[in-house]
Amino acid sequence: MVNTSGGYSAFSLQEALELRASQDVIPYAGGTDLMVGKHRDADYLFLSRVPELRQITEDAGYVRIGAAVTFSEALASPLVPQLMKEAVSGIAAPAIRNAGTFGGNLANGSPKADSVLVEVASDAKLRLVSRSGERTMDVDGFCLGRGRTALRSDELIAEVLMPKQSPDCCFYEKVGGRSALAISRVSFAGIFDTQDGRISNIAAAFGAVADTVLRFRQIEAMLIGRTIEEARALRDSYVAAYAEQLVLTRGRVSAEYRRAVCLNLLNAFLSQCGL
Amino acid sequence: MDRLQEIRFVLNGKEASYTGSAADRLLDVLREQFRCTGVKCGCREGECGACAVLIDGLLRNSCCVAMGAVEGTSIVTIEGYRETARFAVLDRAFAQLSAVQCGFCTPGMILAAEALLSAHPHPTEEEIREGLSGNLCRCTGYNAIVNAVKSAAEEGEGLW
Repeated sequence: MVNTSGGYSAFSLQEALELRASQDVIPYAGGTDLMVGKHRDADYLFLSRVPELRQITEDAGYVRIGAAVTFSEALASPLVPQLMKEAVSGIAAPAIRNAGTFGGNLANGSPKADSVLVEVASDAKLRLVSRSGERTMDVDGFCLGRGRTALRSDELIAEVLMPKQSPDCCFYEKVGGRSALAISRVSFAGIFDTQDGRISNIAAAFGAVADTVLRFRQIEAMLIGRTIEEARALRDSYVAAYAEQLVLTRGRVSAEYRRAVCLNLLNAFLSQCGL
Repeated sequence: MDRLQEIRFVLNGKEASYTGSAADRLLDVLREQFRCTGVKCGCREGECGACAVLIDGLLRNSCCVAMGAVEGTSIVTIEGYRETARFAVLDRAFAQLSAVQCGFCTPGMILAAEALLSAHPHPTEEEIREGLSGNLCRCTGYNAIVNAVKSAAEEGEGLW
């Protein structure tokens, strides 16, 4: 009996891109989300044996995490930034972390994706590849809404580019119903850095509260270039600006509750930064 | 880059193949075609761990694995694991410490314990709880299971 349905397996990136361009396939990396909302009539393109998607490498500016790298593999790598490890170690449970991948977390298009939150806070980029070429874009611009991304139907996510940075302060917190196997109700990642006594970066990203991960660069700009003293004086109006901007969608828990948690986490982050 | 014709893998040490759809769930195939009914179906969405198996030594929920993804791998279910000396130690510890009540979660718990002890032969209580965190039990309240894994680690000194 010959199998005529269900999928294709690729053993190189070139093969995967040929199949992606010529067939109607759903890219399958870890399967943990795909197999829950199963697409019965679709063919899968199995990517877990594509070596180009399985590597974690680094260059001068970035740590590059392949799209089919699992969360467990990232936790075992000395290259992956600590903030990312903190977020990834809180995903589900070991059996899911042994399967779930960075590419899958992105392509699933959920604002609750814990690795995506850290990518947005870190100004990470994505390398998207197709038979006709490749492009690099900000993770922030890739996520368009629930289940919607900028990925074209002939493209695959090749890797996540995490900027190499050693900030003064990193902050991550996930609020869920329990510690394991919990989908985030609110998640927060913050990165703070100074240069010559002035704030050079104060990124704050909020997950699971809207259609995409939220980040407000115009509010961050209030504190960029300020001294710590100046920033302390501005703290109240800075938090108030977030309070005004955080208009949250209703979810399983009330918008009011999640807004309060967002502001509490923001305040905890600012305190940890010494502001 | 061929369309998958036949999916070949090793199941509990023996060559196996599957000619159905590559999109079929490993959980269903293990139970229905290979009669490995120790692999339990609890939630079908990766939340309960009752269907856990080892794929190339790593703990995975078989409900969240499509058959196309198991090509070339080696799968161990409780039916294969029960033949090992390590299982005998876990079996004794679970029985002695009353870590089994209805038994539905037990195959997954045992394989999660195996995955944990392979990585941490002398686990702390926290490591045991983390290792079993994806496996739900509605009977025992977990403490008995945690104690059983701790006891197995001590009794089975040198096996892991």
